[in-house]
Amino acid sequence: MAKVKIATDWLAACAGCHMSLLDIDDRIVQLVQAVEFTSSPITDLKHPPKEGVTVGILTGAISNTHNIEVAKQMRERCKILIALGDCATFGGIVATRNMVGTEAALKRAYLETESTVDGLIPDSPELGRPLDRVTGIADVVKVDLFIPGCPPRADAIFYALSELLAGRTPVILPPEHFVYD
Amino acid sequence: MAMVNLTINGQKVSAPPGSTVLQAAQLANIDIPTLCDHPALAPLGACRMCLVEIKGQRNLQPACTFPTTEGMDVQTESPRVVVARKFVLDLLFAERNHYCMYCEMTGDCELQALGYRYGLDHWVYPTYTKRFPVDATRLYFLMDHNRCILCRRCVRACSELVANHTLGVRQRGAESMIQADMNVPFGESTCISCGTCLQVCPTGALVDRRSAFMGRDIETEHTKSTCSHCSIGCGVEMVTRSGNVLRLEGDWDAPVNAGVLCQAGRFDPLYDERERVTKPLVRKKGELKETDWDTALQAVAKGMKGTKAQKLGVLASTYATNEALYLLRKLFSQELKVSNLGLLNKVAPVISDQGSLADIAESDIILVVGTNPVNDQPVASFFVKRAVDKGARLIVVDGKDNGLVPFAYMNLEMKEINRAVELAERAEHPMVLYGAGITKNAATALKKLGEKASFVALELGVNTRAAAALGLNNGFDASAAQALYILVGEQDLDGAPVLQKVGKDAFVVVQASFKSPLTERADVILPMAIWSERAGSLTNTEGRVQKANKAVEPKGEAKADWEILSLLAAKMGKKLGASLDDLSALAAEAIRPA
Repeated sequence: MAKVKIATDWLAACAGCHMSLLDIDDRIVQLVQAVEFTSSPITDLKHPPKEGVTVGILTGAISNTHNIEVAKQMRERCKILIALGDCATFGGIVATRNMVGTEAALKRAYLETESTVDGLIPDSPELGRPLDRVTGIADVVKVDLFIPGCPPRADAIFYALSELLAGRTPVILPPEHFVYD
Repeated sequence: MAMVNLTINGQKVSAPPGSTVLQAAQLANIDIPTLCDHPALAPLGACRMCLVEIKGQRNLQPACTFPTTEGMDVQTESPRVVVARKFVLDLLFAERNHYCMYCEMTGDCELQALGYRYGLDHWVYPTYTKRFPVDATRLYFLMDHNRCILCRRCVRACSELVANHTLGVRQRGAESMIQADMNVPFGESTCISCGTCLQVCPTGALVDRRSAFMGRDIETEHTKSTCSHCSIGCGVEMVTRSGNVLRLEGDWDAPVNAGVLCQAGRFDPLYDERERVTKPLVRKKGELKETDWDTALQAVAKGMKGTKAQKLGVLASTYATNEALYLLRKLFSQELKVSNLGLLNKVAPVISDQGSLADIAESDIILVVGTNPVNDQPVASFFVKRAVDKGARLIVVDGKDNGLVPFAYMNLEMKEINRAVELAERAEHPMVLYGAGITKNAATALKKLGEKASFVALELGVNTRAAAALGLNNGFDASAAQALYILVGEQDLDGAPVLQKVGKDAFVVVQASFKSPLTERADVILPMAIWSERAGSLTNTEGRVQKANKAVEPKGEAKADWEILSLLAAKMGKKLGASLDDLSALAAEAIRPA
């Protein structure tokens, strides 16, 4: 039987959710017998393959225009999209920016910090443009499964993937895997 | 009483007439989630979490306000109900800032718990990004409006329980805000910092500054006790972690206060910055030297034994347990035959022993005579203000600066007592609250009210009722004492009036928790444990004997007040009961009115 393909990527994230994915520990050996991780931010191949994957996992919030592109590409190339972590489900820590506004946050970070000399707000056309409001992924693309947590527990990720491999959808996370605080 | 019979989730349930659906469900141990509802507060139906499906009702109805009727058929977790509750939660989480991960209340928040219960794995609606203010103008706790869900528990607690009416709501809809008075900062408002609102807040909107981020509830221990800071005897819960008291909460099950506390009981004890006495000290060659308990007690025993009974004096604070006061009387008055005994605060005369604080709520006229509960027994002033809200007439027979005057129907001088008595005679349930400030004439005049009225003396100090019952207020003359035993306890006093009279050569023993001018003068200092560090019992101003419990270990080598006296008695060759239980029983027996 062909392996189930899984692609992961991060948006405005801290990498903590991917760390939690690795925290599956030795069970990952068990997992790779059934799945193939095609691409991820922590491997050489970064983008989900054009021919598509079964499961797409996105971590991080929608914070700039680049995040929207990545989210849309992942959505197009996967059948089941998982929003992993608090940032992906509702904005998480990144969304605290909404409390002060994007402009103020950029000014503070690039011009006003105590260690800044001749500060400059980056505006290269190659960079994504920060959005006025940080949101979860579901504001941009359709999400099939939310796994909240900061980061979600490795057990929650393993549970969700095991359920999907067993062909059970939708995945109903048991209460012990809800940790959004 | 005929019960109302109904069906909840197919289960037959009976409830007393007048019960709401929620009350009926609770009687049958059927759990209906609530958020704005609180057992101590009148139901409001603000949050819609408790919506239930009732056969025959077109819409879902809030269980907390909907009355039960015979034959009613209720579903509390039907699919329609669950969808509605999830919708309500989605809306609540979408308003203001409910990012649990950086909230002080995370883990203990009722809103968060409901999010878990209904499996909210993400937010359906875009969140509100408007920033609301944080009001940190009060010393003890702050209000973060960003966490507020407008359940109005705080508003109801302020009005219904404390009758202070500081809190209210301004504006409408999404602009609604909890406010103090006519929208002034809390610190400048009529708020009396009793913290009742803090205790009922279901989210992290009201945050205790001292215990914030000091641990979730499951990481703490709760020890029930009796407040040791005035004579009302409110039930408290000491919340501790790793041997530290994090905060104090009112005990909802306590018979006297039913959950409310005042600033002096809830916050002030934790902000006490007086320097502790942690080791026994004995004066040698003019200087106080640290020593061990045995040496210190030996020095006391020697000093006391070497002095004639007529030249011995005992001065006691009422900030002490029944057991300590009992031992003090037993050892000095009965065994050593000392008659020069005194208390550090005044005692109210006995007018009548019928009446309790609970009668305040039932009375139609309240006379407050020579006492200022707003300052001295704040929780009693809440009871009075509540009764006034219900229509009772309040007559304050005291100075114009008495804290209850703004709530009074009439403010009389002590010499006008007869006018007050005349008015009270015409009422059905007169209540008399009086204190040590009452004159003899006024006390005599009040006796006319006789059987009809309830009387409660609001004593100054803490365990004054027990101390008076034990005969420790014999009138005291410091100048007559060559050896003086002063039980200061935790009382905050400079002792100047006493110190001026104490002879230069007098031998002074001070049993105290904190350093003060009295400890500076002392020849022996016996370090005493404070309220959180000792067990014992206390007699409140109604005569109710209640347990105080120990939540943390005494600081340094300090010991419980009664333990010190028990050890001293043993040192002097007197066996006066050793275990706390024995002493409590003996003390209760000695205090009980004949």
